[in-house]
Amino acid sequence: MHNTELTIAAGSIDARKTYGDGDAAVHALDGVTISFEAGRFTAIMGPSGSGKSTLLHCLAGLDDLSSGSASIGGTDLATLDDKRLTELRRTQVGFIFQAYNLIPTLTAEENILLPLMLGGDSPDSAWFEQVVHTVGLGDRLKHRPSELSGGQQQRVAVARALVSQPTIIFADEPTGNLDSNAGGEMLRFMRQAVDQHGQTIVMVTHDPYAAAHADRVVFLADGKVVDELDRPTAESIIDRMKQIGH
Amino acid sequence: MIGTLARRSLRVRLGRTIFIALSILAGVAFVSGAFVLADSLKGTFDNLVDGLTGDIDLQVRTQLTVDELDAVRDPLPVALVDDVAAVPGVRLAEGGLARAAQMLDPDGRPVTTQGAPTVGVSWNPDSELTGVELRAGVAPNGIDEVAIDKATADRVGYDVGDQITILFGTGQRTFTIVGLVGLGESDGFVGATTSVFDPATAAVVFDAKDTVDTIDIKVADGADPDAVQVAITEMLPARIEVVTGQQLADETKDQIGEILSIFGTGLLIFAAITAFVAAFVINNVYGITIGQRLRELALLRAVGASAKQIRRLVLLEAAGVAVIATVIGIFGGYAVAQGIIGAFNAAGGGFPPTPLLMKPRTVIVSAVVGIGVTLLSVLVPAIRAAKIPPVAAMRPELGFTALSASRRLIGGAIVTSVGIAMFLVGLFLRPGGGKGLAIFAGGGALMTFLGVTNLSTTIARPVSRAIGAPIQQLFGTAGRIARDNASRSPRRTARTASALMIGVALISAAAIFTSSLRDTFGRILDRAITADYIVWDTESFQPLPPEVASRLEALPELSAVSPFRTIRADVGNDTATITAINPSSFPELVDLDVTQGGYDRMVGADGVMVWRSAAEDQGYGVGDTIDVTWQNGVESTLTVAGLFDDNSLDAAWLISIETLESVSTQTPSDQFVLAKRADGVGVNQATDAIRATLADFPQANPQTDGEFRDQQEGQINQLLYLITILLMVAIAFSFLGIAITLALSVFERTREIGLLRAVGMNRRQLRRSVRWEAVIVALFGVVVGVVVGSVFGIALSYAVPNTVIDGITFPIPTLILVFLVAIVAAVGAALYPAFKASRMNVLEAIATE
Repeated sequence: MHNTELTIAAGSIDARKTYGDGDAAVHALDGVTISFEAGRFTAIMGPSGSGKSTLLHCLAGLDDLSSGSASIGGTDLATLDDKRLTELRRTQVGFIFQAYNLIPTLTAEENILLPLMLGGDSPDSAWFEQVVHTVGLGDRLKHRPSELSGGQQQRVAVARALVSQPTIIFADEPTGNLDSNAGGEMLRFMRQAVDQHGQTIVMVTHDPYAAAHADRVVFLADGKVVDELDRPTAESIIDRMKQIGH
Repeated sequence: MIGTLARRSLRVRLGRTIFIALSILAGVAFVSGAFVLADSLKGTFDNLVDGLTGDIDLQVRTQLTVDELDAVRDPLPVALVDDVAAVPGVRLAEGGLARAAQMLDPDGRPVTTQGAPTVGVSWNPDSELTGVELRAGVAPNGIDEVAIDKATADRVGYDVGDQITILFGTGQRTFTIVGLVGLGESDGFVGATTSVFDPATAAVVFDAKDTVDTIDIKVADGADPDAVQVAITEMLPARIEVVTGQQLADETKDQIGEILSIFGTGLLIFAAITAFVAAFVINNVYGITIGQRLRELALLRAVGASAKQIRRLVLLEAAGVAVIATVIGIFGGYAVAQGIIGAFNAAGGGFPPTPLLMKPRTVIVSAVVGIGVTLLSVLVPAIRAAKIPPVAAMRPELGFTALSASRRLIGGAIVTSVGIAMFLVGLFLRPGGGKGLAIFAGGGALMTFLGVTNLSTTIARPVSRAIGAPIQQLFGTAGRIARDNASRSPRRTARTASALMIGVALISAAAIFTSSLRDTFGRILDRAITADYIVWDTESFQPLPPEVASRLEALPELSAVSPFRTIRADVGNDTATITAINPSSFPELVDLDVTQGGYDRMVGADGVMVWRSAAEDQGYGVGDTIDVTWQNGVESTLTVAGLFDDNSLDAAWLISIETLESVSTQTPSDQFVLAKRADGVGVNQATDAIRATLADFPQANPQTDGEFRDQQEGQINQLLYLITILLMVAIAFSFLGIAITLALSVFERTREIGLLRAVGMNRRQLRRSVRWEAVIVALFGVVVGVVVGSVFGIALSYAVPNTVIDGITFPIPTLILVFLVAIVAAVGAALYPAFKASRMNVLEAIATE
């Protein structure tokens, strides 16, 4: 599922998302045009209400746009019906959420394999072993989420996102609920996935130290892209945030 | 994968799984039990009938033009036995007698039967023509010997060698019990008391006067039974027929089948109600748990589960429980059937030992009910679950698009109106007879319940706030929180209360119907009955020998006495019950509002007094003659002596005893005897005189009109108790439903409860708020139930003839009792959820998202 010709893994053109109408209308996305190159780790930053989560949901095909378009692997999401959109999410998209990542009744292993099993595909066992080894979950595979620590639960979520070798992984504040040790570990796994396996990752965060692990940072405010930063460090991000004004 | 998910979910949410399984199980067991019971009893009774009639090739008897269940055949002349025996091809012809015979127990009291016959029969033990078998002792032989059925002997405490007194139409006699008998595998005859005499003794004690009731025939070997039947038919006098043993067996089986199917249908109705309530509860529980699993299901959608897979997950979970619960429930039918037989036997029902019979039809119907009802009740939750957008995994507030309030209101109103219309059509227009009644009235009631459930969503908030107002006054903050919680999710409150609403509606409808019946009955007594005594068999409900009325007529303490004796006949284009009375005393005992003619015209002239409405239907006026074909085939003419307006006694056609006896040769028996005290005679004096003269007939109980009224009201109340008991299973489940909904709500509000505790609410206050929330929800169900039940009850009361119910009485004390019981049961239902809530760890609760 690696794109050789196209280097753009996902993106949007003039994406708009409006809640409510008339005077009460809220423009969560106000014309966002952006693209994410394959094999890169991008962070999206912005203050609360800037539309960063909405952008992520719309790019990932979890939510639909009011106007404009969003695409993954060259496919315009608006052209897909629910069935094909579901298939696209299962095969081409990986998710890591802030919390509630796992199905409580399934073991860690079953959670990791969930997208494959839902599609009736059998897992590539070598790749599965490698992913599990990478995130360091070997002895916890038969445990239920309630028996895992917060950090372990998020590692299971990373493994699930990686195991189907998707075109792109979307992560929504993946370290938001973790202490700094566990959070740092998580970010290193994601970095490793990009560097060693050419995985594409887009991550929403408000933490400059988390965003510093990315190759590129995109700043959002009031539903618009307001700035960008390549090869960021925590310090340069904080500087830029001050300039933008939050 | 979906299968694994479903299986795990069932195991993890074990409490909920068990509860749902129990609801399904109860409904299925009830359905299966109703079928098992009806089939098993039918099988057993069919065997009994075969045992009784199996040896009979042909039987000679008098004709009966009406339904066998309503009437007794006239007897045959005994001389006919020899005539029949002389027909070529007849090897054996035996006259048989079966007449009333009331046993007394060792203490001299009548042996009662709850309505089954008290019968004596003739028995020739050497004959091949009998199913009766000796269980102990020897066959009776001689004027002072009797054998009785072993079931009655065991019940009352008689054994071989004991003395027993038996009452006949002519008085009482004492016998020695020389034997105990049974029939096939059964020791008894379905609750009847049976005394067995040798044929000569039977003729004497029954005062049979050269008559027999039947002639049983055995055909000679090699003779053609059909030819013999034809030969006998040719020699028989008019209105006497000969039937084959097979026909005899089939007729009897059909009659028993008819009674059993009424019984079975009654049980099935309650089974359907239980299943329906279970469906409501399951639907509600699933609806709530789907809400709680919103994030889980949305997550599945986000990582690639299709809408179809989600729908399948929910349905598969339900189907898993349903299959297991249905299998257990089907076998539970055995327990239900056994339990009902046991309960009836404990009350003296006298069912024979009944091997339980599970037909394939029972299994199929029960399985369809169990699995079908479950799947239907989770269909909507499953569709809703499939519509959860994947983005709800992160934004749960986007989870559901609920049906708008106005659409719910309109939909509810339409369904309710159609339901009530169907119910009324079923009751008043009765298309399609009994089946139509069940489909229209039953289906209409179910639709009404569905519609009202949706309608009540709209009123749940204001009504539960109104119910909660006094509770808030009384219990301060805890009451306030209870009130807010009960009214904040009107949809949930309405659905939770709905299961209870159904049970309460049915009980209130039954209560309104029975109290109206009771009061109408009281008014009839006041208006129409001017007699001081009603003499009848208040225990076994068997007719009385005419000797009772004769002895009362001889008493100087009484000024008027009339028996009340019935016969069936075809009158014009209708089959009617015709009542024979004593026309000279009847006007003093009963006031039927005679508007034309009078009782005096009946005397000596085959006159008939007719209820005006019946007369108008047929176009008869005073002085007209009416052609009547009596139940035994005899034809005669009656002259209309007068018309009356009040048919309170349900006796539209009145003739004199003389007229009846001129057309029927049956051993006469009276339903009851009415009597009036002579002027200046005190109540005690008259009662003592009646008891003294009826000392030989202890089954004849002289009730004053007050006692009669009390007993009848007691009977009507028992009907209400029976209905209530049968609805108990459904009502118990509705309270379990309240308990589980509340437990789920408490779980949902973990964080909120933690906050309340953190800011200083103590455990007792918290428990109290959960408890009162349960009470408010239950009372909401009761209020809506009473309203719906009132509509049903009033409609039902108007649907029966106004001679049965002529006005509505609201059973206020019963309804108050329902309210009180609901409060107590709701507090009980809240015990566990309140305990759970009060045990929450404050810090953990707050940390929950």
